[in-house]
Order: sequence, then structure tokens, then C-alpha cells
Amino acid sequence: METIFDLLLGNTLTRLVFFPALAALPLLFFPRGSSRPAKIYTLVVSLIELGLALAYVAAHMGADGTFALVRDLGPGGGRIPWISSYGITYDMAMDGISMPLVLLGIFLVPIVVLGTWNGIEKHWRSYAASLLLLTSGVLGALLAFDLFLFYIFWEVMLVPMYLLIGIWGGERRIYAAVKFFLFTMAGSLLMLVAILYMAWTFQSLNGGVWSFAYDDLLRLDFPLSTQLWLFGAFALTFAIKVPMFPFHTWLPDAHVEAPTGGSVILAGILLKLGTYGFLRFAIPLFPHATEAAQPLLVALALIGILYGALVAWVQVDMKKLVAYSSIAHLGFVMLGLLAVDVVAWQGALLQMVNHGLSTGALFLLVGMIYDRRHTKKFEEFGGLAKVMPLFAFFLVFSTLASVGLPALNGFVGEFLILIGSFRTLGWPAAVATFGVVLAAIYLLKMLQLTLWGPITKEENRGLKDLSAREILALVPLCALMLWIGVAPQAFLQPSRQALETVLADYQQRVQQPDVTQATLRPGVTDSAAASPVDAATLAPSTSGPTSEPTSETGR
Amino acid sequence: MTRADLIALLPEMILCAGGVLLLMLDVVPALRRSFTAIGILVTALAAWGAWVAYTAAPTDPFLTWNGLLETSRVGLALSWVILISTALCLLASDGYLRREGILSGEYHALLLWCACGLLLMLRGTELLMVFVALELLSLCLYSLAAYHRRISLATEAAIKYFLMGAFVSAFILYGIALVYGASGSTRFADIGRALGGGAEIPVMGTFGLLLLVAGFGFKMSLVPFHAWSPDTYQGAPSPFVAFLSVAPKVASALVLYRLLEAVAAGGSPQTIAKWSDVVAALAVLSMLVGNFLALVQRDIKRMLAYSGIAHMGYLLLALVVVERKSLTPVVVYLLAYALMNAGAFTVVAMLYNRPGEQHLITDLSGWGYRYPLLGACLAVCMLSLGGIPPTVGFLGKYLVFLDAVGDGLVGLAVLGVLASLIGVFYYLRVVYVLYMKPESRQPEGLLIDGWGRTAAVLAALGTLVLGIWPTGLLQWLLEATTVK
Repeated sequence: METIFDLLLGNTLTRLVFFPALAALPLLFFPRGSSRPAKIYTLVVSLIELGLALAYVAAHMGADGTFALVRDLGPGGGRIPWISSYGITYDMAMDGISMPLVLLGIFLVPIVVLGTWNGIEKHWRSYAASLLLLTSGVLGALLAFDLFLFYIFWEVMLVPMYLLIGIWGGERRIYAAVKFFLFTMAGSLLMLVAILYMAWTFQSLNGGVWSFAYDDLLRLDFPLSTQLWLFGAFALTFAIKVPMFPFHTWLPDAHVEAPTGGSVILAGILLKLGTYGFLRFAIPLFPHATEAAQPLLVALALIGILYGALVAWVQVDMKKLVAYSSIAHLGFVMLGLLAVDVVAWQGALLQMVNHGLSTGALFLLVGMIYDRRHTKKFEEFGGLAKVMPLFAFFLVFSTLASVGLPALNGFVGEFLILIGSFRTLGWPAAVATFGVVLAAIYLLKMLQLTLWGPITKEENRGLKDLSAREILALVPLCALMLWIGVAPQAFLQPSRQALETVLADYQQRVQQPDVTQATLRPGVTDSAAASPVDAATLAPSTSGPTSEPTSETGR
Repeated sequence: MTRADLIALLPEMILCAGGVLLLMLDVVPALRRSFTAIGILVTALAAWGAWVAYTAAPTDPFLTWNGLLETSRVGLALSWVILISTALCLLASDGYLRREGILSGEYHALLLWCACGLLLMLRGTELLMVFVALELLSLCLYSLAAYHRRISLATEAAIKYFLMGAFVSAFILYGIALVYGASGSTRFADIGRALGGGAEIPVMGTFGLLLLVAGFGFKMSLVPFHAWSPDTYQGAPSPFVAFLSVAPKVASALVLYRLLEAVAAGGSPQTIAKWSDVVAALAVLSMLVGNFLALVQRDIKRMLAYSGIAHMGYLLLALVVVERKSLTPVVVYLLAYALMNAGAFTVVAMLYNRPGEQHLITDLSGWGYRYPLLGACLAVCMLSLGGIPPTVGFLGKYLVFLDAVGDGLVGLAVLGVLASLIGVFYYLRVVYVLYMKPESRQPEGLLIDGWGRTAAVLAALGTLVLGIWPTGLLQWLLEATTVK
């Protein structure tokens, strides 16, 4: 127990994860009538959380811009036991892969609060509490290095998101919320069985000592037939979350019915947990199965890119268009991940962040226009640039970032993904390029139908342009899009080493012949407690044996 | 009768005496308001008594009363589960009994005697002892189910329960006779050895055992012996159902385990495999039928009845293979089930005021905002029943499924998680009705009292706390059940 308090008070990941959840408790005692104090409180909390995150990252960032693995350590310097009878640890760690996503997730919260200040009309306190609990769940899932702990956070995320869609959503919100919940749960329950099977195998090969630790389970080699089942369970879970074609059907419903804040969080960070799951768990844990399933998954990713784009093209509703564009964009990310190439992975990771920023901004903008006109249909708009020039500016900016205009963030990510996947996959990268073209078509169509042309509806003449609060929400997003676009190196550097380590391990394992029965490779050190990764010693100047610099990453 | 015998029987004696005391105090109507407090006190004393009996035992398990009564850590843990559900039921009942104007000492006394019977059933090491305890339990349960005698539905429910229960008692007795005829003993430890000795179990013994499994399956409301439970739950007083739906199942599950263990101890590998198949079939049927029927219920009590059937199905997954087994998953699952089910029924008892009518789920529409505390408690219990972390309901499912995977029953575990996915759907429906629908009913004639609130909050908090911090509990249980 004392460990927990120590961790909560120090500059730790635990504080980062649980601060939002704990800060949600005082909301219970806010006055019922007026929502203003709760709004200001939530904004302040989310800004403090952002400050905490920046402080943490700054404290552990290497001098050369790399970011090594840091974990929360117990009093003895080892991992913190949780349910020790089953070897379950409370193991929180951050590395170059999770760091950008954690920052993105935290960064989006104050923006959501600002951007949906007036959009949420009822139960503001509960809304804020759901938002904060959701943040905690997402951060926990990104930082958990124990599979049991990961699973807990993975499920914990569902409930607040379910409430966000179900309480504050649109007309068919309950259908959408239940669909979201059941789809996600269906995958994750199978993943639970897979985790249990792995832990049990580990235990029987390890002399009865249990462990759910990521590093330990990574040492398991399963025969291909078993790997395929386990990989299937993990991949299904993550594919539903991403979502990959054909498991995507929950997404348009959830996005369209969710309130703006919910959509931003959903697109911005929740979907990334699917791709993160592939990168962290499904691919490294089951290399042979990944290799075997690669053609199928690449095909699905390509279908996702093209299908998402084509369906987005024919939408008549702004929010639906953005929702389907998410499917296409995440198809790109999946393609990059499946290429199993360090450049493609860097691109994919960057593209996860990019998509969070640009799609987040687009959802916010759709929400802002919806707050004014209570419709999202193209036919109701047209010529808005004349009455809302600021709105038009931000919409054009975000759309172009999403299309992949050079000098903005989307270009860098897509470019790296295409280069990397061309190197290892070949023609699928060429097919994916059509997705870029299609993205330009449907996104520019959206601009044309809403902003340009004559003003066809009288109601639109009197629309107010963006308020200072709304601009405040959008400016940081756009600034980051520009920053990543012109200086991507700073964003690519931290993750490179982590990705190279994962890749080297993957390639080494995939070259080994298939085993006939599950075996446990010897660990670097036998017990986790013996290898405390100390932040102070690792952070500066360690470049590791595998991190030879690659020239492509800097473009 | 030695001193050790008396100490071992301490919790039962406390409960019995407490019940008698309450009946005597009932002559002074002015005292009735304090019966809940007295009942809680007796329950707490019994829990302490169980602890004393356990610590006084020199070995684990320790036999007293000429080998009739066993004192063990698993027994202690399950006794506590039963006493917890008794206490929650007492807390929840006070407001209900006052609202309906039927407050009297018999209710509390009968409940304490139920608990007494259950404790004896848990700790009995031979079939006749278990049968006598079961009868003590059943008679009290029948009367309690009919306690609200002005309501015809309650009477109907109780009669159904009584008739079926009487049949089942006959089944069990016949089963005991057959097993005795085949094995020459009624002791669990001897039955297995005498029946099989590594060879086939004789037909008479098998038939007897099947009758016994059916009998205790009835008490656990496993499919296909489940038909009584939805009707009885619907008609019986809601706070009492918090007890009825949990405690008898706890004791019966342990008796079932002892029977299966007896088979495993003496049977040949083929026989053991056959019995595993029987248990697996019961588990699968209960999970599927329970969940699918719960899906279509509009009455929350009936829905919880079917969900309870499904939960016993999950629990059975841990009993398919019983050799060299730790009982930890079973104990944790039962504890989880006791907390979350009692919590749910407590809230139901407070938020519905017409016992004779349907308890429609949609009647709760929007009440999550009108009654924030009770709504949150109900929502937490529902999420826990659905097995969503970080609740103890998830922990129980996790342990049971882990156990099944470890026994090589991956297929059954997958079936189990898919079945629980169906469960999530109808548990979530309660949450969405609470928070996502406009109000459809004015609260009239409700009595929401401090006792009831306490019960709901304790159950919901327990669900969360044990889900987040089960470390100590698991360690304590594992120490006991692996060292045998």
C-alpha cells in the first residue's frame, strides 16, 4: 500500500495514469445546477495532467532525443507485485513506442474539454468524470507491461466510452453504444483465453512459477499451429479495435452517434490502441504466425484503405465521411505495421499520432458546425467560407494535413509507410498509393461542398464564426501538425531505438525453425527483480547494440 | 462429546441460539425495530465463532463429532461467504419488512437457522449429516419464500419451490440409500474407495450418485434442474432472494465437489472421464440456457434468476476436473457471486414497491440520476456480474477460466467467454436503462432506508475493492487449498 502512495506522489507513470481518475472523484461534490465550475475544474485537471506528462517525458528523455524504457519500480528496485499468488505484477513502463501515444492521449483531453464546452448540455459532471476515467484507462492500457494488467485496463476503457456514446450521443446512441461494447468485448474475451493459455504454458515450463509479464511471455516459443490460434485471438481483438475491414461496422455507428468529445477521443486515441496492440503484442509475441498471416492481413489492410476511401466518397454527412476516412487512414497504419520494416514502423507510429491530430481536429470542426446548425449534412451547407472565414481556414488546414500535403504531418507518415512497405512488401504499397489519391478526392469534395460556392441556405448567412475558446482548442492541434510536417526528426527519434529492438528480436525469432512443442527460451536474467531498469543509468547515451542508424528515417 | 467438539460447533450454536432469542424477543413488539441489529450481531458472532473453531483446530482439515464435522480453511472461507450474504440479506430486509408491514422476529430467526443449516451442510463429511442439514435449510427456505403471505404470487412461488424441493429431497435420500448399498458407507472419504477401487463403479452406485448430483444440481439451479428458480425468485420477497440466490448454492457447490472428489478418488480413468463429461455437459447447458433465457427477460428478478443459472455454469467449469485441485477459484467465484448478486437484489428490493407485480427493467428508466447512490451500486453490480474488470466478478471468471485452461479445457473456456459475452448484453441493458433513458415512473411508496443503503454500498464497494486488491485473500486461500 505504501508503495502506491510513494508512486502517486513521485514523478511516475502511476501518477500519470491515476491522476485523472482520482481527480474525477471531487466532481461528485460539485453543484448540480451550474456546469461552469465543473468545466473549469476539468480543464485545469487536464492541463495539470498534460504538465505532468511533459515533466515525466522531459525527465527521461535522452540527450540525443532518444527515449529508453523506463518503468515504475517498487521499493526494492524490482517490479511491484500485485496478485503475487499468480505472478501478476503491477508493471508500468514507458518506451519510445508508447511515449508519443501517451502524449497524444493526454494532449487531446484539454482540447476536447475546450472544444465541447457548450456542446454537452446535460450531466456535465458525469461527462467530465467519464472523460477523465477514460483517460486513465487508455493510459493504463498503453503503459501496462503485464498482460493481465493490460487486459484490465483494456476492458476498463470500455465502460466510460460506452457511457459517453450512450448518454450524450445522437438519436441511435444506444444501438451504437451497445454495438461498440459488444464488438470490443467479443474480441477481448478471446484474447483473455489466449493470455490465460500463455500464462499457463509459461507456468508449466517454468517450474510452477507464474508470470504474466510481457518480457517473460515473450520468451515463449509455440509451434506454428498453436501460434496461429493465439495470434488469431490477439489479432481479432486488435483488428476490431483498429478497426480493420471486415470488423469495422461498429465504427461509423459509434462515431456518428458519439458526442464530439467522444468522437475525438475515439478517433484520436482509442483506435490507436488497436494498432499499438499489434505492434506491442500480436506481432512480437507470435512472429511465425505473423509471417504466416501477413498476406491475409495485408490484403485486409488494402481493402480497408480502398473501401474506406470509396465509402467516404459517397457520404452525404460530414461526420460519416470523417469516420470512414479513419478506416482508410488506419489501413495505412496497418500496412506499415505489417511491412515489418523499421522505416514503415516509424511511419506507422507517426501516422497514428498524425491521424489523432488531424482527425481529431476534423471531428472538432464538425462538432462546432453541428453546435450552430444541428445538422451535419452537406446539402445544408455551401459557401460557409464567406460567413465563417476562420472556420474555413481551420477546416482547410486540417483537411490538407489529412490528405497528406507536404510540409504538413500526414505527408511524412504516409511517405515513410509507403517507402518502408515497398521495400518489404512490394506491389501492395503501390496499390495503397491509390488510397492517397482517393483521400484527396473525398476530402476536397467535403471542402467544396461546405466552404465554397454560393450560400444556398438562408440560415447559414447569420452563422457566427469561431469563438476565441474554439480557436484556442484548434490552434495547438494545427501547430503540431505543422511542426511534425516541417521537423519530423524530433518526433521520429525517440521511437527508433525501441522499434529497432522489437524488429531485431522479431527477425531473429522468425528465422528460427518451428518448434514441435511450446518451449521457453532462457531469459536474459531469470527474475524480473534482478534487472531493475534504472532510468538514470539508461536514459542518456545508451544506443544499444542493435541501433545502427538508418539513413531513411530522417527524410 | 469433548471440548473440541463443542468448539467446532460454536458458529452453528451461536446462530441457532440467536434465532431462538429473536423468537422470544418477538413477544415485545417495541423491540422489533432492533431485530436487524440483533441479527447482524448474531451473524458477526457466528463469523467470529467460525474463526475460533478454525484456529482451535490442530490440523486442516480437522474432524470432530466422531468424524461427522470437518473444520477447514475452505470451510471457513465458505462459511464466511454464507454469513456475509446472511448479513446483507438482513440489512436489506429491514426496510422491506417495514414497508410491507410484516416485520416480525420469525423472519430473522428463520434466516439465521438457514445459515446454521448451510454451515452444517458445508462442514458435513458424510451424506446423512448433509441431508439433515439440507432439510433444516430447506424447511426454513420454504417458509421464508412464502413469508409475504398476503401476496398470492409469493404463495405460489413458495408452493412450487416446496413441491419441487420435496421431490428433490426424496431423490437425494434415495441416492444416499443406493450409494450406501453399493459402497457400504455414507462418508465421502469412504464412498470413493469402496465404490471404485480403481475399477468400474457398480450400476447401483452410479445411479445413486447421479440422483445426488441431480439433487444438489437442483439446489444450485443448474440446467436441467433449474425450472423452479425464476418463478420462486420472482415471487419471493426481494431481499430474501438476495440470500436464496446465493447461500444455498454455495453449500451445494461444495457438496457437489465432495461427491465428484469421491468419484475421482476411487474411479478408473474411464469413469472419471465420464463424470467429467457429465459435469461439462451441465456446465455448458447452464451457461447457454441461462444466458439465452436471461436475454429475453423483461423482469429484472427473472433476469437475475437466469443469470444466476449461467453463473453456476461458469463455476462448474472449475469442477470438471477435480483431481489434485485447489478450490480457490470456486471460493472466489462464490464470494464474488454473493456480493454482486446480493447487491443487485438489495437495490431491487428498495426500488420496486409492489411485490405482487412484475419488476420490469424499464421501470428503472432514468433513475440513475434520481437515486445516484443506489443507481451506481446497481450499475457496479451489473458490470461485476458481466465480468468486467476491475470488479471481483472479473476476478472470479478469470480464475475459473484459468483453471479450465490449465485442465486442458480450452474449448470449454472459449465457450464460457462467448456465453459471458451474451451476459454482458443484458447486464448492460440495466445500465443503459438507468442512465440513458428518460424517466418513466414516479417513485411512490418506496422506502429507502439506511440499512438497505448500507447493504448496497457494502456489496458494491466489496465488489470493487476485492477486484482491485485481491492479493491477501488469494494468498490466504491458496495456502489452504494447495496444502492438503
